[in-house]
Amino acid sequence: MTAYLQVAGLEKRFGGLLALQDCSFTIAQGRITCLVGPNGAGKTTIFNVITGFLKPDTGHVTFRDRSLDGLTPQAVVHAGIARTFQNLRLFADLTALDNVMVGLQHQFAEEPLGAIFRPFHAARTQTSRRNEARGILAHVGLADRATERVRNLSYGEQKLLTVARVLATGAELLLLDEPASGLSAGALDNIMALLRRLQNEGKTLLVVEHNTRVVQQIADDVLFLHQGHLMAQGTPQEIIADPALAEIYFGGAI
Amino acid sequence: MDFLYSYIVLAEIYVALALSTNVLVGIVGIFSVSQAAVFGVGAYIVAAFIMSGTLPFIAALLVAAACCVLLNILLALPSLRVAGDYFVVTSFGIQLLATAVFTNWTAGTGGANGLPGIPPPDLFNHPLESTGQLTLLCTAGAVLGCVAFYLIMRAPFGRLLRAIREDESAVAAAGKNVLRAKVSAAALAGAFAGVAGGLYATFLSFIDPSSFDLDASILLLTMVVVGGARTLAGSIIGPFLLLALPQILPLLDIPTTIAAAMRQLIYGLLLILFMMFRPQGLAGERL
Repeated sequence: MTAYLQVAGLEKRFGGLLALQDCSFTIAQGRITCLVGPNGAGKTTIFNVITGFLKPDTGHVTFRDRSLDGLTPQAVVHAGIARTFQNLRLFADLTALDNVMVGLQHQFAEEPLGAIFRPFHAARTQTSRRNEARGILAHVGLADRATERVRNLSYGEQKLLTVARVLATGAELLLLDEPASGLSAGALDNIMALLRRLQNEGKTLLVVEHNTRVVQQIADDVLFLHQGHLMAQGTPQEIIADPALAEIYFGGAI
Repeated sequence: MDFLYSYIVLAEIYVALALSTNVLVGIVGIFSVSQAAVFGVGAYIVAAFIMSGTLPFIAALLVAAACCVLLNILLALPSLRVAGDYFVVTSFGIQLLATAVFTNWTAGTGGANGLPGIPPPDLFNHPLESTGQLTLLCTAGAVLGCVAFYLIMRAPFGRLLRAIREDESAVAAAGKNVLRAKVSAAALAGAFAGVAGGLYATFLSFIDPSSFDLDASILLLTMVVVGGARTLAGSIIGPFLLLALPQILPLLDIPTTIAAAMRQLIYGLLLILFMMFRPQGLAGERL
């Protein structure tokens, strides 16, 4: 069986810092894989490399047997992979609905000529795309916040909105950078339920997560990253039970 | 009465320029201080064609618009590489360069003496000589510009541009081509400025480099700030309000020598006060 997403021999150096070294792993389709590891282990760097924001010094990324090497972030989205950012990077002055609509692909009049010369067609197609975006907002539980500007949303709502924007791209593999960090208990349950639901709908998820309780509850597989290298791979139970990994992760606190 | 007409026509031409500046600076966040240079290129091109009689007015206007589209794309290219603050400096240099060319290329632009005797615009071999006809022409131009701006802002393209101003990386992560969108916006702004230049040259029948210098670029920014960034209303209110000032000042009992300096002083003061106390302008959003 060929891997769904394969990362092979990645190396990335920032000046004197080796962020990734010989980093290799695969993830399986339809599963929730959590990427864990101490701060600075290279988790976000992996995201940046897979999604085309960073070019690795060496190594390859293959998705569905197709090489992603050298693709722009835009092309990676079209290949079917979309990401969120740890610091959200929402469009704060736009409404929640507009944030989602920016993520919709193949829109008419997303260039000036169509907008000016075929205004009625543009308006008609926008109406149907707007409904599509409303559906996505409803799916993540933000239906009643559609016309609210992002700056007026709570942090938990903003986190849900980042997931909605990723869903709007239609990508099948979602890379979520700490979707649960900084959330209250209620919002945490909310987002975990959402991730499970997305999995049931056929999405594959690669999730950077620090909270071990969240990892235990949502992960099918866990990748343990340390100093830019894949140190261990297994079920959440296996990873958490390994005292050597706990030593690295918690610095011997437990 | 002619006094009122000329105010309206000039304000309408500046509406097209304010739209151009608003697209680039207000909406996409490419902080250009060289829009007057593009305006000038449009004016000189139209003047050259209709003074030599090689092209009728509308054709000359289209050529000028096309040239300004290409020029503005070239001028905006550094903004794709250098971040916001640095681009201001780049664009400042471009504006100074353009003024130097306008002033010193005597054969093409008439140099500091300018180009006098530009014939009035014509429509299908009918010269438009009365102020009424000219006003109609400029009104038509300004209305078309406003309609185009309105349509773009409500289309997905407008939303994409606003998103780019807020976070380019997030737009790229949403699968969108940031480069193409920025180039399109620059092209659009160029077309607005080119057409405005052509109307300006034929309406005034005389152009010289002082209309296309850094002061003019800053006046455009002031119009967008005072009127309000990112809104259509702002791009209309700004020019009409700021151009009323030179019409009103002579009514006060001030010597003409002081009046010109006074105008710059008031423009500068307005810019500072609005940025400090009402950055969203009269009818817009924060720049």
